[in-house]
Amino acid sequence: MSRVEAFRDGAKLFRRIVVRTAVGSLRGRRPPGEVLRQMEQVGNRSVVFIAVTLGFIGMVLVFQTCLQINRVTGDLSQVGAEFLKILVHEFGPTLTAMMLATRVGAGIAAEVGSMVVTEQVDALRMCGVEPVEYLIVPRFLASLVMTGVLTVFGVAVAITMGTLTAYLTFHVNPRIFLDLGRVSLGDLATGGLKVIAYGAAIPIVSGFAGLGARGGSEGVGWATTRAVIASSFTVIVLDLVLSGVGLFLLQGGA
Amino acid sequence: MTRSFSGETVLAGIDLRVDRGETWGLVGPAASGKSVMLKTLCGLLPPDAGAVVVDGEDIAAATEERLMLVRARFGMLFQNNALFDFMTVGDNVAFPLVRRGGVEPKEIRARVSARLRAVGLAGTEDKFPSELSGGMRKRVGIARAVIARPDIVIYDEPTAGLDPVTTQKVYDLLARERDATGATVVVVSSDLDALLRFVPRVGMIYQGKLRYDGPAKKARDADDPVVRQFVRGDIEGPL
Repeated sequence: MSRVEAFRDGAKLFRRIVVRTAVGSLRGRRPPGEVLRQMEQVGNRSVVFIAVTLGFIGMVLVFQTCLQINRVTGDLSQVGAEFLKILVHEFGPTLTAMMLATRVGAGIAAEVGSMVVTEQVDALRMCGVEPVEYLIVPRFLASLVMTGVLTVFGVAVAITMGTLTAYLTFHVNPRIFLDLGRVSLGDLATGGLKVIAYGAAIPIVSGFAGLGARGGSEGVGWATTRAVIASSFTVIVLDLVLSGVGLFLLQGGA
Repeated sequence: MTRSFSGETVLAGIDLRVDRGETWGLVGPAASGKSVMLKTLCGLLPPDAGAVVVDGEDIAAATEERLMLVRARFGMLFQNNALFDFMTVGDNVAFPLVRRGGVEPKEIRARVSARLRAVGLAGTEDKFPSELSGGMRKRVGIARAVIARPDIVIYDEPTAGLDPVTTQKVYDLLARERDATGATVVVVSSDLDALLRFVPRVGMIYQGKLRYDGPAKKARDADDPVVRQFVRGDIEGPL
């Protein structure tokens, strides 16, 4: 297959996934309980992963910031306020999504890809099932909800660990550290917008990689790798775009 | 119809007609395009050019929505069975009926039990495909293919990897299903002896072309030396 043909087929498949996912989310016929099962896969099974990652990042961020400021001015009173602000609109949603892009993205691509190469997707089509609506839509809905839930959870863990780090290593009073005064509605809106965009993008990009799998187990391996790379890259690009949108439209350029 | 992959022609102008209620077999060397042809016939793969007419409707030009309705008239056994590995045997067999709708759960359960009994797998409803042997999985695939009583049934290698006794049992099963439903049947098989006993008419595909399409009994004495060598299994010849 030439590159032009491959690109054309890929673009066609991607468009079909986006359209079918949008339509299927509104009126599709889903297997009973499948969205809940996927929410458990995406959410419950990522809890420890997100807690550890966001917890450590919260600790490192606060420690490094306090260390640098201590060397220059020694005034640590604003560290907490700025930490909370950047966690809400940037690090919380983006780092949670990056973690989900690897764990959930790989899972979706491997599961769907192995169904493609074993002809199970063709068998679904022969039973009158639209594969995108059956396989991608439940994962899409689960990801939309659970990315939000995990982001809130991850931010809470990061704040807790950051607060403890500031208190135990630099003796910053938690009451001073936990200053929400710098967190605006614009920050919350920007963070929320990112959560929705990431939650939607990860299953679509990973599902695209899975449904595009060809060959045997090697093809599934490639699809999984592609899903992780493409999902992570998509999160980064969306972060750049939405940070710009958020900065100028929601956060008033601040 | 024609169909190519990566610039390589797999189906190079196939012209074929299978009548309602007919049983037609397809043979050919490995990687000669048999499975591609089956998938094109049932609308899983669109042809690059040409038409695939099912009951007067050209499905080559049909939308995916329309194709879903047309495919509901088909039952298909895939080469590797393609059983849903996340479902039990009972759910696998019931799936076409569940998706079609309009049948009560009690009726579905009864029909699943009856189908599994017919293929010699009574009581396996709660097992998963991974717990079954190759022959058992094949028979579950057959049960799933025919449970919704489709007008057209496609069997892709129904006896691949099975021992001779199980092979004969499977063909007996296919014959009983065909006689009971009167469905149009298309079978691809590498087991020529068993296939030629099962189908009255057979075709042979080679290098993208249908080199033979005629009575199964006369395939061994076909004029085309390629067909003759393949069907007889001779070592010497053009193949």
